[in-house]
Amino acid sequence: MDQSALLDHQFTVAAYAVTWAIQLGYVAWLGFKWRAQKRSASRTARNPR
Amino acid sequence: MKKLAIGLYVALTVVLMVWGFYQAIYVAPDEQTMHEVQRIFYYHVPSRWSPSSSSPSRWPAPSDTSPSAATATPGRRSQTPGALRRRGGRGLLHGRAHHRPAVGTPRLGHLVDLGRPPDHHPCPLAHLRQLPFAAPLAAGPQVQTLAAVLGIFGALDVPIVYMSNRWWRTQHPAPVFGGGPDSGIKDPRMLHAFGWNVLAWLAWGVLILALRYHVERQHQKLAAHEAQQALDA
Repeated sequence: MDQSALLDHQFTVAAYAVTWAIQLGYVAWLGFKWRAQKRSASRTARNPR
Repeated sequence: MKKLAIGLYVALTVVLMVWGFYQAIYVAPDEQTMHEVQRIFYYHVPSRWSPSSSSPSRWPAPSDTSPSAATATPGRRSQTPGALRRRGGRGLLHGRAHHRPAVGTPRLGHLVDLGRPPDHHPCPLAHLRQLPFAAPLAAGPQVQTLAAVLGIFGALDVPIVYMSNRWWRTQHPAPVFGGGPDSGIKDPRMLHAFGWNVLAWLAWGVLILALRYHVERQHQKLAAHEAQQALDA
């Protein structure tokens, strides 16, 4: 495999990996928000002011 | 029943994603001029179309818990600085990877450095949308005004970006759709790979939109409940 083809391959892998890192990172972040809200809701239900 | 339907939809989306990936990497033939790096196209275009058609899927959950947020319209855009920042840069990363290689261009650096001056981009204006994200923004009416301005600029940006690879011929490949008699996807295997990925990314976009909507509604209900409790106390 010549240098150019190797670079093309690495570039393609990086593009796909970065795309999924962003997408899954966003889903994970939403998941954390969701979990934090659920905890907050149950805490509010347990300790009404 | 509802959980089953959601589970089936998630499974269908995952299957579509895997199938689209397989089509793009293993089934679609090698493009004659760009070779392997052209396969980025099968992700780059559908993943950009998907948020364009369901843009709320890219709305981040708000980080403020003010009572005013509780009365916000469902699905309303968060106006926090983080929200503005995240809304702008996504999708540019792999888009830059799609640029044609050129002598003297640090390609990987080009891929990851969003703050880089637009010296190699076909549309220098496209980088203007990053400017507001650099400054620290305070929450409040000022941020809302900036968000509105950014929204208008984003709308104006769409035709500019669409036309940019015609107006500024640099590293970005020539237009595939609507680019003249030689444009278009000629090989049916390429067309299939592209179509499957459009479908897969659309399914993914709807899934993220539903998740995002659920989180936003939960946040609003919780904030409204807390505000009511404070009033009752």
